[in-house]
Amino acid sequence: MNEKPTEPHIPLRLSMDDPQPMYAQIESQLRDFILAGQLPPGTRLPSVRALAGYLACSVITTRRAYEDLEREGFIRTRQGMGSVVAEIPEEKMAARRREPVETAFREAVRAGRRAGLTEEELRHIIEETLQRDDTNVQGVVS
Amino acid sequence: MTEHPVISLRDVRKSYGDFELGPVDLSVEPGHIVAVVGPNGSGKSTLFGILMNLIQPDSGDVSLFGGTYPGDEVAIKRRIGYVPERSVGHDEMSASALGEFLSRWYRTWDQGLYQDLLLRSEIDPDKRFGKLSKGVQRRLSFALALATGPELLLLDEPTAGIDPFARTEILEDLSRFVHHSDGRTVVFATHVMEEARRIADHVVLLADGEFLGLHEKGVLLNGWKTFWVDREAEGDVPGVVEVEVGSPTRIVSDSPDETAEALSSENIRIVRKGSVDLEEILSHLARRSKERRRA
Repeated sequence: MNEKPTEPHIPLRLSMDDPQPMYAQIESQLRDFILAGQLPPGTRLPSVRALAGYLACSVITTRRAYEDLEREGFIRTRQGMGSVVAEIPEEKMAARRREPVETAFREAVRAGRRAGLTEEELRHIIEETLQRDDTNVQGVVS
Repeated sequence: MTEHPVISLRDVRKSYGDFELGPVDLSVEPGHIVAVVGPNGSGKSTLFGILMNLIQPDSGDVSLFGGTYPGDEVAIKRRIGYVPERSVGHDEMSASALGEFLSRWYRTWDQGLYQDLLLRSEIDPDKRFGKLSKGVQRRLSFALALATGPELLLLDEPTAGIDPFARTEILEDLSRFVHHSDGRTVVFATHVMEEARRIADHVVLLADGEFLGLHEKGVLLNGWKTFWVDREAEGDVPGVVEVEVGSPTRIVSDSPDETAEALSSENIRIVRKGSVDLEEILSHLARRSKERRRA
């Protein structure tokens, strides 16, 4: 299929209260949206200049964000064509999605060990948490 | 220290022509920094004028340290350091002459602190006020207010026209003033949100003369969230203040828990959550009040 790439509106948001630098905020949001399937492969991204205009930041910031995402394989940039969301292999998507979860679990297990909990107790906590969880956040939340 | 609030305003109103401030209901407890924020013309200076009895309200009760104007005026003002938006009548006097003049009126005048502030602000004590740059004038007015040894500092845009370095120093001075000893209070007007963010405990919002409450900054910030969701909701979702349709759609909520629950019951997926900046919260509150008035 050779569909014309669409350019959806992507409501990114920069926060002054966020200790992360602005380029990192842009990267993290775009990464989440791509991994959640909100920006499917082939989706056209705004130009670095247009995005800088929308977010009221410098083009150096937006360029840096795009360069980092390109290096990580999330987007592709072609001369004169602008940037589009890259085709990301399903296993890589799945791995990326799991990454923050695995990190969080590792942290949790370490915290449990520090507190002197047994493996059995840790399993119990996870079970309980799964049952009690009342939020519907799926996908990646960093 | 008193058992009274430092400032207590009840149902205070003031109108000029088609501008109306209030009703303002405000109670400020000692030991806090309160930022009064709002765009130009929102009534900030009128509020300060009322607190200093330079402007008499049309109605309502004004009380400072438990006393009222005009009966307790001298007693009240001895405890206040005030920096107006524009310092009037200072032009011909030098910093040292101004200090000498004020020291006769305030038993609590702190000459050591005053000299220290002049030195740190690099203010020439012999130069006439009118010959100083706007920024240095502001710093001098601020130094004068601090050196009177007040319990309450009322500052109407103390950092207007001041460079960022001096701004930081003024904010540090304010913070030191409040935290150095018990029971000291600062109320300052600003339209620079960064200042409210950095040092304020409470934020008072004014929009077009309407008083939008005294908010504890932390509570205000925690009470709002932005959600990115995979699709729009069919019906009304409680708490939603703004919807920006896109991929994904972004919504702003002032009751995040309720909103998340409603989204969940509609099987709408939250792709990401984030905090909402103070600026954004305040602009929503201001817009909402405008809509309410128009309705």
